[in-house]
Amino acid sequence: MTTDAFTERLSEYLDGELSEAEGRQVSEHLATCQDCRATLKELRGVVSEAAALRDTSPDRDLWRGITPRIEPRRVSPFRRAIRSRLTFTLPQLAAAGLTLMVLSGGLVWMARSGDPRADFQPVTALVATDPALTPANFADRNYDDAIADLQRTLDAERTKLDPETVRVLEQNLKSIDDAIDQCRRALQADPSNVYLNTHLADARQRKLVLLRRAAAAAIGS
Amino acid sequence: MEAFALGCAPVLNTADMTDDVALAASGDVSAFERVYQAHLPRVHSLVRRMTGGRDADELTQDVFVRVWQKLGSFRGDSAFSTWLHRLAVNVVIERFRAETTRRRKLRDGDDIFATIAAPVRSRDLSMDFETALATLPDGAREIFVLHDVEGYKHHEIASLLDISAGTSKAQLHRARMMLRRQLGRGRSGYDH
Repeated sequence: MTTDAFTERLSEYLDGELSEAEGRQVSEHLATCQDCRATLKELRGVVSEAAALRDTSPDRDLWRGITPRIEPRRVSPFRRAIRSRLTFTLPQLAAAGLTLMVLSGGLVWMARSGDPRADFQPVTALVATDPALTPANFADRNYDDAIADLQRTLDAERTKLDPETVRVLEQNLKSIDDAIDQCRRALQADPSNVYLNTHLADARQRKLVLLRRAAAAAIGS
Repeated sequence: MEAFALGCAPVLNTADMTDDVALAASGDVSAFERVYQAHLPRVHSLVRRMTGGRDADELTQDVFVRVWQKLGSFRGDSAFSTWLHRLAVNVVIERFRAETTRRRKLRDGDDIFATIAAPVRSRDLSMDFETALATLPDGAREIFVLHDVEGYKHHEIASLLDISAGTSKAQLHRARMMLRRQLGRGRSGYDH
């Protein structure tokens, strides 16, 4: 290999990117070639100087050129909640947990005691104790009315939600509706199947909760 | 915004920065301005070095406008500074790609030594280096900055610029050799 050919490999040698054999070959050449040693030393100087460069600000105000190009945007409560979780402190988390426990307990108490504020019957799975007497629950007027009501509210207010939130919401609703349809079709053939009844009840409950949250978010935006 | 002096970046309080990024992501322009101030020296230096100073201010503004638009997609999987840095690199690369002559210059590496200006000398070695860097051809400078200043690997550069790792290595070596000649032999900084 000529000196020029060795010189071409000096950067790779410096960066440790040559194979062991190639590296040894270059090392042996360097031991006898003063020019290449000098070049290597200078390349090493360039590399170390590049790594030590200091960052500096521009000498004019760029912010004034940025502000007209950025528009204040509104982020849905869902997104805010996701982001703010990064900054929760331990006491905040403890308080949130406690609030959740109290709310959950209250809701259970209301459901069991028949509180008049519960405006429709809770959606429950119909466990088949006797297949002959327990048909699948395909329709519940209170539930269907509540769903229709929430859907109307959401349709009227959806423009207030972030488009990305609407997209995710619709995706989730479609998944739930698909699951409900599948369950209903399967229950036509096996009306007393405990798993299918439980699954149907869960899916309907999920749809109700999702629509409630979405409608509340849209109204509150 | 008042504070705009040249010099080092302000000392960042990581917790405050996280809060500001979160606030900016939720639409708080004041928080975004604080994020901008904190990261401006880093972003502007990166853009200036990659472009050789050409349109550096305008591109830096483009970067922060893009940051504002994309903050919603920042999920916190990496440090915000890493995410911002990658976004800035992409903005510069997009600009380069828009310049059709750039690719030809990148391939015409054999002629790049002919474009070297006379050596720049001053008492400020750092400024010497920045000035010399600005004289490199676009392709060689871009790869040098990404590799030797920003710490990217050749395979990452290859992926970013849509070139082979071998081209990246060759251009890096050429850039170093050009800088070596620009800065002159026997500089005191290299004599240790």
